[in-house]
Amino acid sequence: MEIFEHPILRFERKSKITFFFEGNPVEAYPQETVAMALYRNGINVFSYSPKLHRPRGLFCAIGKCSSCLMEVNGIPNVRTCILNVQEGMKVKRQNGLGDLPKTSEFLKSEKEYSPTVLVIGSGPAGLMASITLKEKGVDVLLIEQNPNLGGQLIKQTHKFFGSQKEKAGTRGIEIANELVKELNSLDVNYFTNTTLFSFYPRENVFLAFKDNELLKIFPKFVVFATGASEKMIPFEGNDLPNVMGAGAAQTLVNVYGIKVGTNVLMVGAGNVGLIVSYQLLQAGINVKAVVEASDKIGGYFVHAAKLTRFGVPIYTRTTIKKAVGVDKVEKAILVELDENFNETSKEFEIDVDAILLSVGLQPSYQLLAQAGCEMKYIPSLGGYVPLRSKELETSVKNFYIAGDVGGIEEASTAMLEGKLASLSILKKLGFDVEKEKEALELDLAKLRSTPFSKKILQGLKEVAYE
Amino acid sequence: MKSYDVVVVGGGIIGLATAYYLVKNGVRKIAIIEKEYIGSGSTGRCGTGIRQQFTTKEHIVLMRESVKIWRLWEEILPKPIHFRQGGYLWLLRSEEEDNEYRKYVALQNLFGVDSRIISKDEIKEIVPDINLEGIFGASWCPSDGSAYPQDVLDSLEMFLKSHGVDIFDYESVVDFKKTSDRVISIKTDKDEYALDNLLIAAGYATKSLANKLGFDIPVKNYRHQIVVSEPLKIFLSPMVVDRSLYFTQTYRGRIIGGTDTNEEETDDLTLTYNFLQKFSSELVSVFSKLSSVRLMRHWSGFYVVSPDKHPILGPTPLKNVFIGTGYSGHGFMLGPIVGKLLAHYITYGMFFLEEANHLTLDRFEKGMLIQEKAVIG
Ligand SMILES: Cc1cc2nc3c(=O)[nH]c(=O)nc-3n(C[C@H](O)[C@H](O)[C@H](O)COP(=O)(O)OP(=O)(O)OC[C@H]3O[C@@H](n4cnc5c(N)ncnc54)[C@H](O)[C@@H]3O)c2cc1C
Ligand code: FES
Repeated sequence: MEIFEHPILRFERKSKITFFFEGNPVEAYPQETVAMALYRNGINVFSYSPKLHRPRGLFCAIGKCSSCLMEVNGIPNVRTCILNVQEGMKVKRQNGLGDLPKTSEFLKSEKEYSPTVLVIGSGPAGLMASITLKEKGVDVLLIEQNPNLGGQLIKQTHKFFGSQKEKAGTRGIEIANELVKELNSLDVNYFTNTTLFSFYPRENVFLAFKDNELLKIFPKFVVFATGASEKMIPFEGNDLPNVMGAGAAQTLVNVYGIKVGTNVLMVGAGNVGLIVSYQLLQAGINVKAVVEASDKIGGYFVHAAKLTRFGVPIYTRTTIKKAVGVDKVEKAILVELDENFNETSKEFEIDVDAILLSVGLQPSYQLLAQAGCEMKYIPSLGGYVPLRSKELETSVKNFYIAGDVGGIEEASTAMLEGKLASLSILKKLGFDVEKEKEALELDLAKLRSTPFSKKILQGLKEVAYE
Repeated sequence: MKSYDVVVVGGGIIGLATAYYLVKNGVRKIAIIEKEYIGSGSTGRCGTGIRQQFTTKEHIVLMRESVKIWRLWEEILPKPIHFRQGGYLWLLRSEEEDNEYRKYVALQNLFGVDSRIISKDEIKEIVPDINLEGIFGASWCPSDGSAYPQDVLDSLEMFLKSHGVDIFDYESVVDFKKTSDRVISIKTDKDEYALDNLLIAAGYATKSLANKLGFDIPVKNYRHQIVVSEPLKIFLSPMVVDRSLYFTQTYRGRIIGGTDTNEEETDDLTLTYNFLQKFSSELVSVFSKLSSVRLMRHWSGFYVVSPDKHPILGPTPLKNVFIGTGYSGHGFMLGPIVGKLLAHYITYGMFFLEEANHLTLDRFEKGMLIQEKAVIG
């Protein structure tokens, strides 16, 4: 299932290492995650569910959904999509709930950090925030739970819209490369493969695990740039392996060069659905159809036109009714909807081996809620989001947000927000950033002046406070 | 104005269990008023443990009777409450402790509880993965156990509703109308209800409501913290107690447990890293295979502690007002028997167990305190 030729991407595949899956040796490339290595070797079933013993596989591929839990080296419930493979690693399918761990040793050491600013998440928002702060000499610690810096940018092979300043015309992957280069040249302190999982206000401590090391972080300011994760919709068989988020397919295809399937169905014709479909075509994967529940294509016309050129049908007022298959998707049953979104009797099937969902994203708000930030449910922003000031400060003093965690938009606004959150912090630290901030706020307003931003602006009004 | 034979303030285990027995006693018009949701107080936050290994006659007899009801409830309540007699394994770390607990076990046996002192070998049989280093033996009672608090409350609520009890949730009692020795009606933030009898089983708020009525209860609220882990296949059925640490596995597979962080009296439920650190290191030192297990949730609730760490039950200076409070960390397990005792007192004007006579509020005035040593977590 490897992709060898790609019009844009080159996949580095040098040495190989061996790990064990269910006792069998499996070859993998170093730098890839366990889940990706298994997919490369045709393994889609990672576990069986506790009650009904249904097969389960990958869903988000970015460490946010727990669909990929397996037993690794005797420890159950490990998220294999964000764990790098290692020589000799023993990976097992989990049958129902995990067993009592076989190992008695886990915590090897503890380390304490007291950065001026802790940035959580290294997508465009987090990278921009870190760079802006470090440029002024402020001490930053950046934490990322995935193996790579860059968040969702590292799988965007398309060129961005927007204004020149926000790197329009540049591919997402290149933006990520540039930002990471800048981060490194500024010598920003960061950890990847590190999950930040808890905050205790009394001691003002954030806790994170980096492999077997516990990090205790005591920051003065925090920028939450934790991004978003894909939504699921209810239909029969939606837990079958190879029903996954469109973003997970992007990770497989664009980051690791692994085919998600041969013939795929895309559910949802918003920008994400259209762009990812096109990227799959570029990688030599057949997109059999795109279905969309509403009567209009939600994404930009240019993206839809590209698909039409490839002969991909886009069925509006149609949705998925059922995913069929034993251990993996083998067929999708689609159904036409009437004007009230009720299912009609018009059903049809298509043979596909992957069903990708691009039915919206929801902000990764959990840490903010745990930290006690006041939250509100705003459908146009994607779900629960924190209230925030114009300077992006939440209801908890010195806790800031940037990017999708505050409401689903896109990479350019995320970058600007990352910068804005940092400038707000710099202002509190006594730097003179007023002019820069004003200019930035203008840029942000300009980006949000298209008709597509109307609903978002309305949503943002509802979560604004002084 | 609606009027009731008995109004119960508080939708925790005590309020619901008492209403259950009031129904059984034939009382017709009963209302429960709960400030938030049923179980939002200490009951929904507790450690699930049910034990008879205590050190005073009062506690031992009450808990022996309570366990009988727990067993019955598992059979007859409309929904499963997951009462499980997996035992309590109380680790002893020195010869002195061992000697002390032998005396408690003798007392427990005298009142019909099947506890005994066991050796390290037997501990190993009951919980094979326990680290026995530094352990001398254990006090073990196989008929102790646990139940799932929210399931218990759901089941009781279903029973009560089907028997015509009015349950008003998200409704807070704010004031009372009274004569010199009786309460006539109760005011909430939504309504007012006339009543013949009033039971205050409002947990951490019982004292402040009593103060509003003109009398005091000598209890203090202490924050206690607790955590649960991700679920694993069942490998542990007893509740294990090691000094101030306690932990067991719920029927859903999660490790649940806590420890004592010696906190000051407080009305603040903020969680602390200090607790997490103490709990984790104590847990891992006695059960090292749990070291890689992730904790999923951490919360806190109040222990409402009385001067002699025993409940305060029944009559008050006001003729038609009754209280149930001061369980000092054991109110969940005591719930069934205390409910039965309070319902009996409200219906018939007396308790049916001699031991309960020692647990009334006037014992503090009379200086007849009871001393309990085995308090944990
Ligand atoms: C961390 C922890 C672990 C514990 N572990 C155990 C254990 O393992 N075993 C055990 O037996 N016990 C345990 N306990 C103790 C046990 O939880 C309590 O003793 C028991 O739940 C008390 O029950 P209750 O009905 O008196 O109070 P609660 O459950 O607190 O109920 C009182 C109710 O009154 C309501 N209320 C308050 N004010 C008003 C008002 N003005 N109007 C209307 N309603 C009001 C509250 O909202 C609350 O729901 C533990 C407690 C904690 C905190
Ligand atoms: S957490 Fe690994 S697939 Fe979502």
